[in-house]
Amino acid sequence: MPTILVLDDSATMVMSLSHILKGAGYDVETGMNGREGITKLTDGVKPSVILTDLNMPDMDGIGFIKEARKIPTARYTPIIVLTTESGGRKRDEARAAGASGWLTKPAEPNQLLSVVKQLCPLK
Amino acid sequence: MVEESNERLVCAILAEQVSNLRDRMDASEAFDLLWQTSALLSWLAGLLADITRDAPKSSLLLDKEISEAISKITTIRHQLDALAFFQAQRQDFARQIADCVITALERMSSARMPEGSRFASADLAALYVSDDQRRLHEDVLNRLQAG
Repeated sequence: MPTILVLDDSATMVMSLSHILKGAGYDVETGMNGREGITKLTDGVKPSVILTDLNMPDMDGIGFIKEARKIPTARYTPIIVLTTESGGRKRDEARAAGASGWLTKPAEPNQLLSVVKQLCPLK
Repeated sequence: MVEESNERLVCAILAEQVSNLRDRMDASEAFDLLWQTSALLSWLAGLLADITRDAPKSSLLLDKEISEAISKITTIRHQLDALAFFQAQRQDFARQIADCVITALERMSSARMPEGSRFASADLAALYVSDDQRRLHEDVLNRLQAG
């Protein structure tokens, strides 16, 4: 079963995303900030897709993407930013850091699953 | 009780009040119930499908009703998932706005800001995390400037 790594500082968002992704047939690993995400990756978690919020304490989404791209196993892993920010400047910043895509909250479960399934189809 | 007109003290108190309000926004029990219900519905739909498949004798009418029930259960489950996801995002957004107000009030209070310094609207704008907040900010500025 493919694994999705979900990073968000809101416990409710993490649980909600996990519920939707698990319901669709994915395994889910979670973290509450970028630092926890990096720890997961260095500990050997190999997600097929990473979903990350931007505004998180300790290490934000941009910082996470930059660090994740330095880890050989995560260099080419698709990273989708899921955030309330829809501004062009932040989007450019995330893309420059290595983000693969962008979903603006509020998003629909179908929108989310459609993006994830495109990047990581279920067999 | 001593009367206090210090604006910085008022800001510090308001920051605590909003912080308290933010902490009360936790609706995790309600979300948990929604997700449990959704999972239960998913299980029930699977169970009905298994019963239909394994039943030694079944009528066309019963099969049709079970099929309709599974379809309705699936629809409601998707609606519950969408509702929970949407509400979770709304709550997250509300908490972010509250965090922004708390940070601004803390900076305006005596504990966080040196005497004589000012907190400008641009300082507030720097705390925003969404375009909705920026739009609202612009609307207020335009309204006040027009007035």
